[in-house]
Amino acid sequence: MSDSQTIAIETKNLVHKVNTSAGDLSILKGIDMEIKEGESVAIVGASGSGKSTLLGLIAGLDVCSDGEAYIYDQALSLLDEEQRAKLRGQYVGFVFQSFHLLPSLTALENVMLPAELRGDLDAKAKAEGFLDQVGLSHRIDHYPRQLSGGEQQRVAIARAFASAPKILFADEPTGNLDAETGQVISDLIFDLNTSLGTTLVMVTHDATLAKRCQRQLIMSAGRLSESE
Amino acid sequence: MKLALKILLRELRNGDVLTLALALVLSVATVTGISLFIDRLQSSFELQSATLLAADRVVRSPKPLPEEWQLEAKEAGLSVANRAWFSTMVFTDDGLQLSQVSAVTDAYPLRGEYLTDSQLFGVGQTTVKGPSVGEVWVSSRLASLLNVKIDDVIQIGEADLLVTRYLVRDPGSSASAFAIAPRAVIHWQDLDRTEVIQPGSRVRYALLMAGDTEFLDQMEQWLKPQLQDNQEWRSPRAGGRGIGATITRAESFLLLAGTLAVVMAGVAMALASNRYVKRHLAQVAVMKTLGATPNKIASILLWQLVCIFIMGSIFGLILGWSVQAFIALSLETLLSTALPEPSLTKIWLGIVTGLTSLIAFCLPLMVRLLNVSPLSVLQPMSRIEGRTAFLYAFGFVGMFSLMVIYTQGLLLPSLMVLSIALVSVLVGSLGFVLFKLGRKFTAGATSGWQIGLAALHRRLQSNLFQLLIFTLIIMLVLILTGVRSNLISDWQAQLPKGAANHYLFNIQQQDVEPLQAMMSDLKIKESDWYPMVLGRVTKINQEQVSRLFEEGKDRPELLSRELNLTWTDNLGVDNEIVEGEFNLTNEGFSIEFEAAKEAQIKLGDEITLFIGGREYSQKVTSIRRVDWSSMRPNFYLILPKTILSDFPANFITSVHVTDQSKQDFYQNMADYPTVSLLNVGDLIAQIQLIIAQVSQAIQLLLGFIVASGALVLVASIRASLDERLEEGALLRTLGASKSLIRQAMLIEFGFLGIFAGLIAVLAAEACLFGLQVFLFELSPSFHPVLWLLGPILGFVIVTGIGLFAGRSVLKVAPMRMLQAL
Repeated sequence: MSDSQTIAIETKNLVHKVNTSAGDLSILKGIDMEIKEGESVAIVGASGSGKSTLLGLIAGLDVCSDGEAYIYDQALSLLDEEQRAKLRGQYVGFVFQSFHLLPSLTALENVMLPAELRGDLDAKAKAEGFLDQVGLSHRIDHYPRQLSGGEQQRVAIARAFASAPKILFADEPTGNLDAETGQVISDLIFDLNTSLGTTLVMVTHDATLAKRCQRQLIMSAGRLSESE
Repeated sequence: MKLALKILLRELRNGDVLTLALALVLSVATVTGISLFIDRLQSSFELQSATLLAADRVVRSPKPLPEEWQLEAKEAGLSVANRAWFSTMVFTDDGLQLSQVSAVTDAYPLRGEYLTDSQLFGVGQTTVKGPSVGEVWVSSRLASLLNVKIDDVIQIGEADLLVTRYLVRDPGSSASAFAIAPRAVIHWQDLDRTEVIQPGSRVRYALLMAGDTEFLDQMEQWLKPQLQDNQEWRSPRAGGRGIGATITRAESFLLLAGTLAVVMAGVAMALASNRYVKRHLAQVAVMKTLGATPNKIASILLWQLVCIFIMGSIFGLILGWSVQAFIALSLETLLSTALPEPSLTKIWLGIVTGLTSLIAFCLPLMVRLLNVSPLSVLQPMSRIEGRTAFLYAFGFVGMFSLMVIYTQGLLLPSLMVLSIALVSVLVGSLGFVLFKLGRKFTAGATSGWQIGLAALHRRLQSNLFQLLIFTLIIMLVLILTGVRSNLISDWQAQLPKGAANHYLFNIQQQDVEPLQAMMSDLKIKESDWYPMVLGRVTKINQEQVSRLFEEGKDRPELLSRELNLTWTDNLGVDNEIVEGEFNLTNEGFSIEFEAAKEAQIKLGDEITLFIGGREYSQKVTSIRRVDWSSMRPNFYLILPKTILSDFPANFITSVHVTDQSKQDFYQNMADYPTVSLLNVGDLIAQIQLIIAQVSQAIQLLLGFIVASGALVLVASIRASLDERLEEGALLRTLGASKSLIRQAMLIEFGFLGIFAGLIAVLAAEACLFGLQVFLFELSPSFHPVLWLLGPILGFVIVTGIGLFAGRSVLKVAPMRMLQAL
C-alpha cells in the first residue's frame, strides 16, 4: 500500500446546481471530503440523492457550480476538458453499471483501448494479461453481445485496470447482475484493488457491497455524511 | 492516425460505416461513370462531326486567308491544311462540263478520309491522302459526263491533269451535300497553274486546323476577334447542328438525373452517419472517460473520415471507370465502333462529389460526437442533441453547389430543387392523410394489417421521409425508363430498318421509268417520286418580300433562296395537315408549318411565286407539319398541278440500298450520268450510333440510381432498426408469432412501396410530358405501362429490401433484445 498520508481526492464546499424549468435545483449542497490514496470508499444513498453527480464531479467528468474538487491536488475546475481528459487517462479508471463496452470491438480490443489511446505499444500483451486475471482468456475474441452480463462486467473491469489507474470509480458495478454473479464481480474488484493498491470509490445501493469498503459515505439530499 | 485506422477497421464490421463508405463509393462512381461516359460520347460525336468538317476547327472565307494565321496555328502546335473550292468548266478534247473543283494541300483531310475507287461508280475504299501534284480525282458522275476514265487527261483552266481515282466521298463537303455538282479534287500546288482564279472569281477558302482542344481554344480566342463579317469560324458542334443539340440536351438531362443519384447517395450517407453518431455518442463518452481528449477524438474522427474519403474515392473511381468502360466495350461489340478514350481530367468531378457529400452530410453530424459530455455515461440525459435545421441547411448547400458544378448554371438546379420541393409537399400531404386514415380504420393490434398500418402512423415523420425518398427513386427510374424507350422507339420509328439511305435527284422525265424498272430488278425499295421545279417567293399578300424582311441572316429561309417546288396526288405519310385542307382539285398552296411560322404566313394569306419568268399568286389553303428526319423527300411548298405541269420538271426520290445491292446499284447508275446521287447512309449510321450511346448512358444511370436508392432504403430502415428490434422483441415476448411480425413488416413496407410507386408514376408522367415536349421535342405520349410498373416496382423493391434489412427483427431472440434495452 502507498503512503497513507497522500490525498487522492479532495472536495471543498462542492456545490452543483442544474437549471430546470422550475429554476435552479441544487443537487450537491457543499460537500467536503478527503479520500486517501489506497482507500476504498463506498458512497451510498437513495436514488436521486446526488451520488452519481458527486462521482461525476470528483472523477472530472463534469465541472462543479461552486467549490472545488481535487485529484492529487489538481483543482479540476481550473482545467479545460482537454486537460481533464488527460488527467483521467493518467489517474482514473471506471466500471459502470451498464458495462459500457464498445459493441463493435471484441473483448480484447475493448481492454486494449485505454492503452492504445495513450499510445502504449504493449497494449495487447497487457490487455491479454488482465483478461486472464478476470478469467476470460478463452473469450478474448468475443464481441460484447456474445458475452453474458457478468462476463461483460469482467471485461469492463479488465479495461478499467488495464489503464493502471490510481483511482477506480465504480458506479453500481453489480447493479445489473444477479446476486451470485454480483458476488464474483465484487470479489474481482476488491482483489484487484488490493493487489494493485488502487484507490476505490464506489457508488452503490448494495449495503453488503458497501460494507466491504473501508469507509462508507452516505449521501442524503445533496449532503454527505460519514457512516460511523 | 494508426489508432484511427485501427478503430475504423474494427468499425467496418459494423453496418453503418459500411453503408457510409458504400454511399460514398456510389456517389463517386455515379458521377465518374456518367461524366467519363459523356466525355467519350462527346469526343466520339465531335470526332464524327470533325470528319464532316475534315478538321477540328475551320475558318472559311471568300478570299485567301492571311499567311500569318496559318503560322500562328502551326506555332500553337496545331496541324494545318488548306482547301479552296470553286465552280469551273472542266474540259476534255470531246467536251466540257461545269464542275465543283476543290484544291487541297497534302495534309488534307486532317480528320476523316476520302473514299475513292478505281472502278467507275464503285463503292469506294478509304484513302487518307489527297491527289498528288499533277493528278486529279473526279467523281464517277463527272467522269461519265466527260466520258473519261483513269489515266486520261482532263483540263482545268490552263492545267492538264491526269485522272488517277474516282472520287466517292470527299470528307469536307458532305455538309453541303445538296448543292451537289460533278466534283473534282486537285492538289493545292496546281491551283495557280490552272489560272482559273482571277479577280472577282467566286472562290471559297478554308483554313483547317486540328489538335488539342486547349490549343484550339487558344487559337479561337486569338483569331475570332480578327474575323471579318464574311469570314466564319466553324467547330464540329456548330457543324452538326441537330445532332449536336440533341447530345447537349441529353448530357444535361443525364447529369441532372445523375445529380439525383448523388443526392440519394448523400441521403444514405447522412442516414448512415446519423445512426453511426447516435450509436457512438455513448461510446465516445466512454472513450472520454478512458482519457481520450477532445483533440484526440477529433483527430481520430477526422482521420477516419479522411480514410473513408480516400478509400471511397479510389473504389468509386475504379467502379465508375469500370462501369463506363464495360458499357463502352459492349457498345463497341454492338456497333463495331470504338469510342475514344475518356479524358482523365474528368475524374475530378467524382472526387469533388465525394468530398462535398462527405462534408455536407457527415461532418456536421460527426461534430456532434465531439461535443458529447463524458458525464453521459452516468447520466444518459446529458447527451446533446444538435440543431437539425443547421444540418439540413448544410446538406442542402452542399448538394446545391454540386448541382451548380454539374450543370454550370443556376437555372436547372433551381428548377430541380423546386420540383423536389413540390414532390415533397405532394408526398407529404398525401402520405399524412393516408397514414392517418390507415391508423383510424385499423385500431387494435391483432393482425399484421393493424400492426403494420399502426407502425406507418407511429413513425410518421420518418415514414413520410422514406416515402419521399422512395417516390423520388421510383420516379427517376420510371422517367429514365420512359425516356429511354421513348428515345429509342421514336428515333427508330423515324429511322426504320429500311429507311432510305440514298437520295436520287436531277432525274429527267424519260429516266423515271427505266430507273423504276432497275430498282424493282435489284429489289431496291424507293419512296414516292416527286417532280421538282425551281421557284422563288417574291410577295406575301401582294407585299414585296424585300419590304417585309431585310436581306441577311434574319430573312426566313423560305424567302431567301430558290425553292424546290412540287405537286403530288398523295401527301406523304410523314406529312400531317394541321390547318386547312389539302385538296388536290382546288387551287391553293400547301405550306410547311415551321417555314410558315418563320415567315409569318397564315392560312388564307396570298403567296406570289416567280417560276420560269412568270408570277403565280394563290392563297395558302393548308399548313402541314413535316417530319424532316424521315429520310424521304419533302417540300416547304406544294403547288397545284395546274401551275407546275407547264414546266419541265426533274424528279427526286429516295431509296434504301442494302450492302448487298450497293455494287450493282452503283454500276447501274453509271447509265444515268445526269442523275445526282447522294449517300446519306453515313448520317443514318451516325444517328443510330448516338441513339445507342444515349440509351446505354441512360441504362448506366439507371443502374446507379437503383443502387443508390437501395442504399438509401437500407440506410433508412437501419435508422429505425433499433426501434423495430425493440418493438419486435416486445411483440414476440407478448406472444406474437414471427409470421405476424413478418406480415406487419410486409404491410408497412408494401404500403410504402405501392404508395410511393403511385405518386412516382403521377410525377413521372408529368416530367416525361415536359421532357418530351421541351427537351427532346417529341410529341407527348401517355405511358400506361408505367402505371402498372410503378406500384409493382415500388412494392417489390421496398418490401424486398425492407424485409432484408429488417431481418434481424425476426432473428434476434427477444430475451437478448430486452436485456440490451
